[in-house]
Formats: sequence, C-alpha cells, structure tokens
Amino acid sequence: MIIPIRCFTCGKLVADKFDQFKRQVRQGEDPAVVLDNLGLHRYCCRRMLLSHIDIIDSFMAFATTEVVEGK
Amino acid sequence: MDIMIIHRQDDVIHFLVEGIDVAFANALRRTMLTRVPAMAIDEVLVLENTSVMYDEILAHRLGLIPLITDLESYNLPQDCDCEGKGCSLCQCTLTLEKESGSEDVVVYSGDLVSQDPKVNPSTGEIPLVKLAPNQRLIIEAYARLGTGLENAKFQPVSTVAYKYVPIVEVDKDKCTKCEACVEVCPKKIFVIDKDTLATQNTLDCTMCELCVQECEPGAITIGSKNDAFLFKVESSGALAPEAIVENAADTLKKRIRVSLDFVGKL
Repeated sequence: MIIPIRCFTCGKLVADKFDQFKRQVRQGEDPAVVLDNLGLHRYCCRRMLLSHIDIIDSFMAFATTEVVEGK
Repeated sequence: MDIMIIHRQDDVIHFLVEGIDVAFANALRRTMLTRVPAMAIDEVLVLENTSVMYDEILAHRLGLIPLITDLESYNLPQDCDCEGKGCSLCQCTLTLEKESGSEDVVVYSGDLVSQDPKVNPSTGEIPLVKLAPNQRLIIEAYARLGTGLENAKFQPVSTVAYKYVPIVEVDKDKCTKCEACVEVCPKKIFVIDKDTLATQNTLDCTMCELCVQECEPGAITIGSKNDAFLFKVESSGALAPEAIVENAADTLKKRIRVSLDFVGKL
C-alpha cells in the first residue's frame, strides 16, 4: 500500500529513503548507484525499495469521506 | 580484551575485539539484539481516522518508528514504581493531528508531537499515510521502553554481525604473478605493486576463497585468527551505536554475575 517502514529481513529503516530514491530514479539515475548512496548495502534492504509499488494513490480514488458543505 | 574502533559513522560502528572466543562474541551480539532497551510506540488510541488505511496498519506503522531513547530518564515498565500501569517515568505520550484541506497530504513521522522533547522520532521523514482531500487523522500514541526479547520493534539495532579476522598469505616463491586472483577477488584485496603481489584492506576479506581456487600454483592461503572478531553494529536510530555496545556489555556482566551467584549457592 505504502512503503514499509523497515526492511522485513533486517529491520533497517527504509521508508525515509523512498522519496529520494523515487525522485532520483525518475530523473534517470542508475538505481544501484542511488541505493549505494542511500546506504542500503544489503540485498534485503535494496529489494524493499526496488520492488515497491505505491498503490495508496489508487485506493485514495475510492475515498468515502463526505465533503461537509459550508465548512 | 582489546577493542579497536575501525570505523564510526552516524549510525554504524565497526570495531575489532581481540582476546575473546566465539561464545563471548555471540553472547555480546545476542545481548545487543534482545536485552538493550529502546523506546517504541506500544499503544495507540485512534480518535479519528478517515484515511484509506486501517487503524491496525497505522498503529503497526507507528510502532515501527525508531524513537530517540533517553535511558536515563525512563524505566522499563516492569521495573517502574507504578508496576507497569504507565506513569511519566515509564511512558511518553505522542499526539498526531493532521487534516487535509482540498489537496492530498502525506503524514510524516515529523508530524508527531511528543510530550517529552527528548523522545522524538529519529527522523521526521518517514511517510506514515497519505490523506485524500477532507480526510482527518487524530491519534494519541503511548511510547514505552521495551527489549528485543519482547518485540523486534524495541531492538535498538538493525543488524549486529561479527566475523573472524581473516589472514591472507601469499607465498612469494610459488606466485607466478598471473593476476588471476586480482581479477577474481570481489573485495579487491590483491594488487600488483612493482612486480610483486601485495594485499590491501585484508579486513574486508569475506573468506570466499575464490582466490585460492583460482590460484594454480597454490600460492595463496586464507586463514583466520580464532581469538579476534570484527563487529559491525548498525543502530536503528534509537541509541548511538557505541551506547548500545556499552549497555550490552553492562547487561551481560550483570547477567553473568546473577548466574555465578546462583551457581555459588548450589
């Protein structure tokens, strides 16, 4: 749904690095280099970012919150 | 026992310990993983959550945020005078209130407001949830000390590892300078320096022995010291890595004392 906070295997914090990873990869940088610079050296942490797909935006399209008029 | 710090960064420490055996090295590692207390959110009161994320997932995510721990001013709930009911000496309240206006808003760990200025998320950039327009989140979270024994979220470390100190030896008489080892070594340990094969950064050697397999004349031998260990301690951000090692050593000492006292009574 949204990036997991920690690596499933080793428990390293990964969520705070995802925004930067996504931004730099979108700019065309090599994901391997970006991951190295972020300090993710083990393959367990690297797969957390590499294989993640954010689907919370698709869920948000179905949000059921009512808009209160005149508020 | 001698300790030499090889490398120290914000949240990682590498050090060399000499004069201990595997049993002690592993005891130290396991103490760091399971016995060193750290702060984490343990109970969450969800007052309002209209986001697309379930309360349980949100509470789980909050629990995983590493909180900067002040071991001096907090007690473990089981050691506290309040007998674990939760008082200001063993509990810290964090609140979170966020409302999205007409646009999407990302709620970050930095939006948590702590009652104690010393207890805060180690980084404010952890995305917790995303709010669609007109969604609201009001949360009260209670953080407490705990140990890795109870739940992995209380571990102050993400990885603690140790390895033997490698000894890389090159027999200069047998070496034909074919440079096969220079190519094959994943850690780039071998270099050709003025027509002789030299070694560099031998502490990086993973003892994969690819060089030994590749070396036809059999000039390379990889061995290890059996009384020295290279430790790597990676903090989750709750405590400084050296504080974790110090605390683990203290805890281990206390626990050994308890068992020795018990044995003495038999």
